[in-house]
Amino acid sequence: MAAQGGQDAKFFQRGKIQEFRAELQAAEAKDKKFTKRKTVLKKIVANITMGNDMSPLFTDVVQCLGIPLLEIKKMVYLFLVYYGRSKAEQIHLVIPSFLQDCNDRNPLIRALAIRTMSYIPIPVVTEALTEQLRHCLKDRDPYVRKTAAICVAKLYTADPRKAEKGGFVEMLRDLLLDSNATVVSNAVAALSEIGDRQDGVIFKLNLTVANKLLAALGESSEWGQIYILDSLLRYVPERHTDAELMAERIIIHLQHANSAVVLTTIKILLYLMNYMENRKLMDYICKKMGPPLVTLLSSGPEVQYVALRNILLIIQRRPSVLKNDVKVFFCKYNDPIYVKLAKLEIMYRLAREENAREVLAELQEYASEVDIDFVRKAVRSIGRLAIKVQPAADACIQALLDLIETKVTYVVQEAVIVIKDVFRRYPGKYEGIIPTLCENLDALDEPESKAAMIWIVGQFANRIDNADELMDDLTYTFMEEPVEVQLALLTAAVKLFIYKAQSDTSKALVHKVLKWATEEVDNPDLRDRGFMYWRLLAINPTVAGEIVLAEKPAITTDSDRMDRGALDQLLLHTGTLGSIYHKNPETFIRNAAGKALTDSPALNPLSRQVLVPLSRPNIPPAIHVPGPGPPPPREASVSPVPPTAKPAPPAPPQTGDLIGASSSADTLDGEGENEHESGEHGDEDSLASPSGSADPYANLDNAFGSYLADEPKPQADDHLTRLF
Amino acid sequence: MAIDGLVILDSTGRPIVQSGFRSTSPAYPLLHIEALNDALSKAPRPADADPVLYVPNTGIDGPSACCHVKRGELRFLGLMSGDTDPLYVFAFLETFISILRDYFGQLSAETLKENFDVVYQLLEETLDAGGHPSTTSINALKDIVLPPSLLSKVLSVAGVSGLASPGTNSHPFASPIPWRKVGVRYNSNEIFFDVAEELKAVVNKNGGIIVSSVWGKVHTNCRLSGTPDLLLSFSNAQPLTDCSFHPCVRLQRWSRDKNLSFVPPDGRFILMEYKYTPGGVHHVAVPFALKASVDCEVNGGSFDVALTSRLTTKVLENMNVELYLGEGATSASCVVSNNTSWNFDPRTRILHWNIKAVSPSSSFSLKGTFSSTAEQPRPSHAFRARFEIPQHSFSSLKVDQLKITGEMYKPYKGVRGRSTGDVEWRW
Repeated sequence: MAAQGGQDAKFFQRGKIQEFRAELQAAEAKDKKFTKRKTVLKKIVANITMGNDMSPLFTDVVQCLGIPLLEIKKMVYLFLVYYGRSKAEQIHLVIPSFLQDCNDRNPLIRALAIRTMSYIPIPVVTEALTEQLRHCLKDRDPYVRKTAAICVAKLYTADPRKAEKGGFVEMLRDLLLDSNATVVSNAVAALSEIGDRQDGVIFKLNLTVANKLLAALGESSEWGQIYILDSLLRYVPERHTDAELMAERIIIHLQHANSAVVLTTIKILLYLMNYMENRKLMDYICKKMGPPLVTLLSSGPEVQYVALRNILLIIQRRPSVLKNDVKVFFCKYNDPIYVKLAKLEIMYRLAREENAREVLAELQEYASEVDIDFVRKAVRSIGRLAIKVQPAADACIQALLDLIETKVTYVVQEAVIVIKDVFRRYPGKYEGIIPTLCENLDALDEPESKAAMIWIVGQFANRIDNADELMDDLTYTFMEEPVEVQLALLTAAVKLFIYKAQSDTSKALVHKVLKWATEEVDNPDLRDRGFMYWRLLAINPTVAGEIVLAEKPAITTDSDRMDRGALDQLLLHTGTLGSIYHKNPETFIRNAAGKALTDSPALNPLSRQVLVPLSRPNIPPAIHVPGPGPPPPREASVSPVPPTAKPAPPAPPQTGDLIGASSSADTLDGEGENEHESGEHGDEDSLASPSGSADPYANLDNAFGSYLADEPKPQADDHLTRLF
Repeated sequence: MAIDGLVILDSTGRPIVQSGFRSTSPAYPLLHIEALNDALSKAPRPADADPVLYVPNTGIDGPSACCHVKRGELRFLGLMSGDTDPLYVFAFLETFISILRDYFGQLSAETLKENFDVVYQLLEETLDAGGHPSTTSINALKDIVLPPSLLSKVLSVAGVSGLASPGTNSHPFASPIPWRKVGVRYNSNEIFFDVAEELKAVVNKNGGIIVSSVWGKVHTNCRLSGTPDLLLSFSNAQPLTDCSFHPCVRLQRWSRDKNLSFVPPDGRFILMEYKYTPGGVHHVAVPFALKASVDCEVNGGSFDVALTSRLTTKVLENMNVELYLGEGATSASCVVSNNTSWNFDPRTRILHWNIKAVSPSSSFSLKGTFSSTAEQPRPSHAFRARFEIPQHSFSSLKVDQLKITGEMYKPYKGVRGRSTGDVEWRW
């Protein structure tokens, strides 16, 4: 301020407490314009920011609070913000100055005083603040009112019951109707903060207030718009038309320059659509949501990443959004890896018969890229594309064979893993390529690919001439293999024996393997399975054959998608951490409140059927210990599985984790209709009957299907699939 | 929805400035800084570190997350917990960075240290108690936080009122329009529109365009007195799609007749951003052609690249073609056409080829070899070419007229176009 830029760097020198104290005292003499004290204070503040403890200077510094100079006040207040909390026994010294400043002529000083007081959660300060806040909330200056609104939230954190008794929540509610848009939006922000607390009052909006807030939207700052838009989640439309009218009013904000405003608008539109009936309007909204999402992709990689993770959720719920824009998601070689992986997953989701060729060509391109992680996922996506889009399967298989030709080990391994699934998806169609796969047996050195190859050898032992030789080679290292491979070997040996019961090699082989599995190995799973096979074979080999080689349920891509109820719930968190990690935030992040759709006459029937209610813990207020800190865990049963950070955001949609015991019944609603996009309805609202799944193997599919490109590991409960 | 706080790290990963973390333990920011530095060191390239870092905080604060962006040598961290929108954190970081730029000109560890008191005041004003961004409009901020004195001296000489002394405006937010101050005065009233377009494209090895799109931004520098109300109309606004606007633009008006009606903020701002979509299914053409062959051998390889301009009148300037030569690449040696230069950066393993000016229909070539410690080198499968075309716009967007109401003067108006391109050309 007074010191010229360029000279302040000298303040960044470690100073001693005694020196500062002496300097402050010396500065009191002949300091007409307070410049001396200003300089010392600056040094002190610089030391605070360097992490040096300046708290012993408390009494010395607070004496400067009487100086009627905004610049000095700001520094003293900054000091108080840092050390006020820890000086409970001395803080009363400052109270008179606080009170004086709360009534200063300058609104900046009034606001500064209450703001600083709200940072110091010590009873005497809170007490004083309570008194001052009451008239500051009605101050004639909007700057003071907007600051006061936020202070109420702080007061509430310090002592919820007191704030409630003092009528502050009601006063905040009155501010929602303030003439100044900034004040309105800050009141909304404060009420939301209070409403998100586990022990707070419930903040709901009715139609009248919601409309009033919308009116303030136009004049608000971008942040204010976000608060107001976000608060609309607290409004539950009772009639379809209410939801529809509101959507029409906010849709224009999709064109805002601030990406967070855009994504919040999308969140609210998605939310309101749950309560709509007018199909035309919904289609229109879906169409309108596409371009702003694409625009987000022209921003920096960080914003792109957040947008991509959200798009992944949105297109699962509303497949018509972006359905013709797969090209937007093609990767550039210098995209950061997290952007590439997210794009890859979306490309797979958007792949249909019409664009399968383009998508495949891109995936092939990626398979020759530099980044190994990315290459693997591209190869795997080719296989998933074959499984998802039948007409493209031939081309995908050819592409995989070409890739196997390259002999690059990690490419070959990935190819083998997906080809196993392709065999299951199209039985009897591509077994001709088995010999090519067998040629590459030696290249396989990772458990997953090895197990996949062994499954193929066992399953098609009748078509592979030298299957017994191959198996003999493979079992050579049985005892050193990881359990995953051992289990595969065991099953394959049994299958081989059933196919070729006459062959001596296969007889010897199955005997050897069963013996190892039951006698030499410590793993209980392996042993149990060994015993089971042994008894099956001993009792009746024919029946054993029927069981082990029973027809397997075909693989579909249905369960690649998230459970509808969970999806509805996650979409309420659009843009938030929950949508990044695809988990409900309250399960893994502190201070997060759960969200759930609220039932109302206008809620669309399917959403109601899969409604996941939110339990709000009823903590009796009396027990609550005031003060900051993490909230108590809401339910012991919800295990907060923290997402592991590498390589890309974690969290495969483990439906069970998200929604508890819900069955996988909902994968049914209209795979055929939506994926292949018959047209009129671009989303899942068409009411398919969510009857209990008739397919007892529905859960098996999950074991296969829920692997995402993000999550290379198939689930551990895949054993069942391998067992048969 | 709240941001727990903001931290600025220098190039070595040490914190320079951090906001007060009032509701958390003192260790909270440190844990995030540590987690970030750890993630950066583990990522194959620093740019590959997850931008939203999950911090399974073992302290008393519970798990949280950290959003980070790098600008110049500085890294900005936004710490967040609860139901927060990471985009909201990124948007705030972006805004805060532009505020710092506006206040201090350039961003460096030095400038932040020199002006730390201003930085702290800015933090206090922009990020409110509960971690809510509050005042971020530069015009309003300058009422409550004075820019560094050197700047304010210049401003007071220039005759801008309200900035020079703190006493003159003790009623912030007095303006009915949040983005514009009252009482702005200029001796000469002028407004400049700078239409900057960027072509982003991916081209396959046969020269076929896989993806191409043009993104445009209308940078505006407004130096108009009073409270002018402007109406900007274009003669060909139809192919502009996916537009987004500065909050000052009346959106209803745009959706009605594609005219921009607005009361501008004072100074520089981005009026609108758009995507240019030519009619039909046509792609925007890439203004040059690249013919390339790359051969990899044991511990090295060779390449032969030819670049030809497809433009007939305009010049492609500052053409920069780069190729990542793969893990283990150690050196390269090239022969290039006259007036071009090349260099190989052993740290990033990227080969750069620079052509100052590619005149219409001219051709240039680059031939060379490289060596690598990798037995089978894996250079990237695409070239990246960046260029500029001054006085050009892909969309040929034309300003039709600018009407001003509410003020009596006739301002000087300037419109300029410039284009850049960023093309990935696969081989």
